[in-house]
Amino acid sequence: MARYLVQRLLLALGVIVFVSALTFALTEATVDPALAVAGEGATEEAIQQIRRQYGFDRPLVERYLGWLGGIASGDLGESYRMRRPVADIIGEHLPVTLKLGFLSLAFAILVAIPLGVLAAVRQNTWIDRFALSVSVIGQALPNFLFALLLIIVFGVNLRWLPISGSGTWQHFVMPTIALGYYAMPALMRLTRSGMIEALEADYVRTALAKGLSPGTVVFRHALQNAILPVVSLGAVQFGFMLGGSVIIEVVFGLNGLGYLARESIRRADLPVVQSIVLLISFFYVVLILLADVLNGLLDPRIRSTGA
Amino acid sequence: MKRRQLLQSAAVMAAGAMLPRSAWANKAADTLNVPLTFGIENIDRYYNSVVDGGILARHIWDTLIYRDPVTFAYKPALATAWRWTDDKTLEFDLRQGVKFHNGDDFSADDVIFTLNFVSNPANKATGQDNVNFIEKAEKLSDYKVRVQLKHSFPPALEYVSGEWPIYPGKYYERVGPRGMGEKPVGTGPYRVVSLVPSREFVLERFDEHYKDSPKLEKGGNIPRIKARLLPDMATQVAELLGGGIDWMWYVPADQAEQLAQMPNLTVVNEEVFRTGSLVIDATGRSGVPALKDKRVRKAIAYAINRQEMIDNLVKGKSKRLDVPCYPTQFGCNAAKAVVYDFNVQKAKDLMKEAGFADGFSVDMYAWRSREWSEAIVAYLAAIGIRVNLQQMDYFAIRDLMRSGKTPITFIDDGYYRLNDSATIWQRFFAKAPDDQAHDDEVKAWVEAAARINDPAKRQEFYDRIIAKVTDEAYWAPLFTFSTNYAFTKDLAFTPNIDEMPRWYNARWT
Amino acid sequence: MNDATATAAPAPAAPESPTAATLHRMRRHKGFMIGAGILAVMVLVGLLAPLLAPHDPYLQSLAKRRIPPIWHAWFYGSPRATTLHLLGTDQLGRDYLSRMLYGARISLAIGLSTALISAVIGTALGMLAGYFRGHVDAVVSFLISARLCVPLILVALTVVALVGSSLMTLILVLGLLLWDRFAVITRTATMQLANADFVLASRAAGSSWLRILASEIFPNLANAWIVVLTLEMANAIVIEAALSFLGLGVQAPLPSWGLMLAEGRNDMFFNPWIIAIPGAALFALVLAINLLGDGLRDVTAPEGRGGALA
Repeated sequence: MARYLVQRLLLALGVIVFVSALTFALTEATVDPALAVAGEGATEEAIQQIRRQYGFDRPLVERYLGWLGGIASGDLGESYRMRRPVADIIGEHLPVTLKLGFLSLAFAILVAIPLGVLAAVRQNTWIDRFALSVSVIGQALPNFLFALLLIIVFGVNLRWLPISGSGTWQHFVMPTIALGYYAMPALMRLTRSGMIEALEADYVRTALAKGLSPGTVVFRHALQNAILPVVSLGAVQFGFMLGGSVIIEVVFGLNGLGYLARESIRRADLPVVQSIVLLISFFYVVLILLADVLNGLLDPRIRSTGA
Repeated sequence: MKRRQLLQSAAVMAAGAMLPRSAWANKAADTLNVPLTFGIENIDRYYNSVVDGGILARHIWDTLIYRDPVTFAYKPALATAWRWTDDKTLEFDLRQGVKFHNGDDFSADDVIFTLNFVSNPANKATGQDNVNFIEKAEKLSDYKVRVQLKHSFPPALEYVSGEWPIYPGKYYERVGPRGMGEKPVGTGPYRVVSLVPSREFVLERFDEHYKDSPKLEKGGNIPRIKARLLPDMATQVAELLGGGIDWMWYVPADQAEQLAQMPNLTVVNEEVFRTGSLVIDATGRSGVPALKDKRVRKAIAYAINRQEMIDNLVKGKSKRLDVPCYPTQFGCNAAKAVVYDFNVQKAKDLMKEAGFADGFSVDMYAWRSREWSEAIVAYLAAIGIRVNLQQMDYFAIRDLMRSGKTPITFIDDGYYRLNDSATIWQRFFAKAPDDQAHDDEVKAWVEAAARINDPAKRQEFYDRIIAKVTDEAYWAPLFTFSTNYAFTKDLAFTPNIDEMPRWYNARWT
Repeated sequence: MNDATATAAPAPAAPESPTAATLHRMRRHKGFMIGAGILAVMVLVGLLAPLLAPHDPYLQSLAKRRIPPIWHAWFYGSPRATTLHLLGTDQLGRDYLSRMLYGARISLAIGLSTALISAVIGTALGMLAGYFRGHVDAVVSFLISARLCVPLILVALTVVALVGSSLMTLILVLGLLLWDRFAVITRTATMQLANADFVLASRAAGSSWLRILASEIFPNLANAWIVVLTLEMANAIVIEAALSFLGLGVQAPLPSWGLMLAEGRNDMFFNPWIIAIPGAALFALVLAINLLGDGLRDVTAPEGRGGALA
């Protein structure tokens, strides 16, 4: 197990370095950072001076290594646009996005698991079909479209919920639903199929035969087995939500990481863009690692082969 | 029939449900809720360049002199008198008894520290154009300062009144731009009580704002202003309908018409100091040799039906534009301009003459209204120019433009609200990165005019510039902008042409 | 992941050929038939757009802006609605129906070409990894992990913003970002198949590895491959719409449904139909592709159910 973990960790580290190098090369190659730093109305000489001063005239590899070295010592660089440390700026924007991500995941899981269990227990009844329809519709409705519908209905027409901002818990209701429901179908289906499998398994039949109540069997035995893959899928989905919250943040006026990313992309504020991509990749890596480890715990075959 | 009635009543009910929630809640809380469209990452005005930053700066800080938004005449503000002692030297007599929000007294030290700090290139102020002509500021006495310019610079007072907020020197020296961004201190009519960088600014009326301030019209100003970031136009409209905000601007023309139907909202259209034009790359460096031909550029100017665009898309108080400057700016002499009336046949003839009867393909870059861009694409298609539209963000286009990659660009410019035609020419005809024409003659005229203080002599150069730029069709001027403001009926608000909403003069009705 | 209606379907009574059996299962699978039906209509509409469209989708007429759709004449007595423009006109007076019809082309083209590019990349990588294993597999697995850690929307946004958006850029960017699922499934399937008798026999007969991959292994994973293709098609269509919605997708005047949504958004509180029409079409298309994909999965591998984490 320890060897498996070390292997995974090394791989994760390699992945992060690789992804960050790609992002760095991609962004630095397409934009002249000196122009971005120089700002409005700068003269050619000023731009040249900045180029030397910031070292933009050095080779790409050298600059990348410098950047990476900075990160290792906790320095994400300085924003071209705001002239402040990127770490501080990200620190200000991250909480909103994390909160939105956690709430959305919680929402998705809280809807998906009961629905999936019900669908499995009452297979081929109207509940099952209802769950299936919900998941099919959920997958087909782009989340920005859903967000607009929510705003029209609950924000403008019924006026039950505030439309934008992040002041109170009410502000998070619509964004949470809009972001979370998209992750729900996959979780629901996985719960359902896992439960069906578990319910058909021998130990469940045995338990039922022993006269345990169906409720106990469903929750004690079957769900316990079916839930681990759901949790690890949830972890991965959480990563997707952090990366995909841009649109939801824009539509609901939430000033989180997604909004920061979009603004920074618009203004070619490369250090911020690079750091956000790096950070989210890092989250992914950690979450996928967690999911892997969970699966490893679940499935001894993986542990032994280390595949 | 019955069904139709039913549907109609349903529609009426739906419309009724969409009436804006009365803003009485905001009125009762005595807080004016306004949206910010751009994130102001640092409220220190020298370290941001977004319009919203300029608006809030005018609430928090004061400038040495104040430009009247209606007459554009300069009025005393922190300086009670000012004079040019020579081409390159300005002197200011300062007002006594002015207090900063933190209790500091205002004096010459504050002015010289602020100006010397921001004009020092090492401090990397964002809008370099606003300060890079300052040589140094010197203290003559406690209430008298002299500002030395690097070279003769006639429009200097425009910058003094617009983009030079004065900071408390001692405080600024201690906390720097970063500290000023976190805890701003000024002399303005409102002080910041709390802020979340770029997201939210809560201002409170500063009752010790100096008497005789040219800013405040009369009493009754709203005690609190809460400005929060709502970058998305549709979200702003939703919030206005839902009562979450009391005021918004830049409402697209069509939505403005719809909002005007709402019983609880007022919609006002006002001209703004901003023009839209097509800038055409006449140098060929963006890889479209056809545009090097003057006849092709003229054809483009003839092909666009500006009046139709204004009547149907732009609307409001926008006017057709024939000059590469704002019509009321100093030196913007429309009589000298070559005028291109909409004429498809003439445009086609010119294209044929230039050898492009079959047209050509070209990229057009634009950051404003997509509708406008699309309308232009269709007009140009009618004379055979196949436009590949690149609707992008301003900042991305600016960089592309500077590196010479934009054959046609739909630009709009607010001239930093400076009342001199040459403001924009200096950028687009005389300076290396932004110059899209590379016309040495025009460049020489712009540079020569910048060193002449005598208005009549400057005008001569301006006339030549306007005549040549329009004859060569380096630009196809399109129209002046107007802005739609929508706000709750609870609010009395007067928009100004200088595109600087003065919330400090808004009142509840 | 199996469909309720499919598992419920009783086995066909008479023994049939495998293809006939599959076809039979398809016909009995409601979701599949609905999806296939909608998609067929959309494809047909897209292909025949020039014939079906009543107007030129690019022809603007600023005097005839935002004419409401015809049902506004029936139900609300709108005097402007006209049979000339059944779905009304957009903010530039262009016929909405014609733009919707041409829009089907754009969405389908983006979905299909993106999915095919990713399919080529993913399948090639996956089959190489599965067939050669060892170092090749290590490299491919690394690439898959790296791809999974790239925040898709953010990177697509960045590239499109920096490079400039066009249909081509968009297809390439998405194609280069959506190959991971193809790689994962082909890798696993190839690993399983590589030791199958018929592959070993082919190898013994001296077939080259390329030939084995192409003619022995690929046909056997085609079913799963097509399912992923539909999934990624739907994915690409939604992402295109999202990017267009953020103003960084397809460029006007191309009539993309996502772009039409973005352009109509400011008006949605006053003229809801302006987003309802493209919104419904987008929803129906993605729904159809998903139903088709789900159905195919059920039909081609009825016993396959899984918790495969991609």
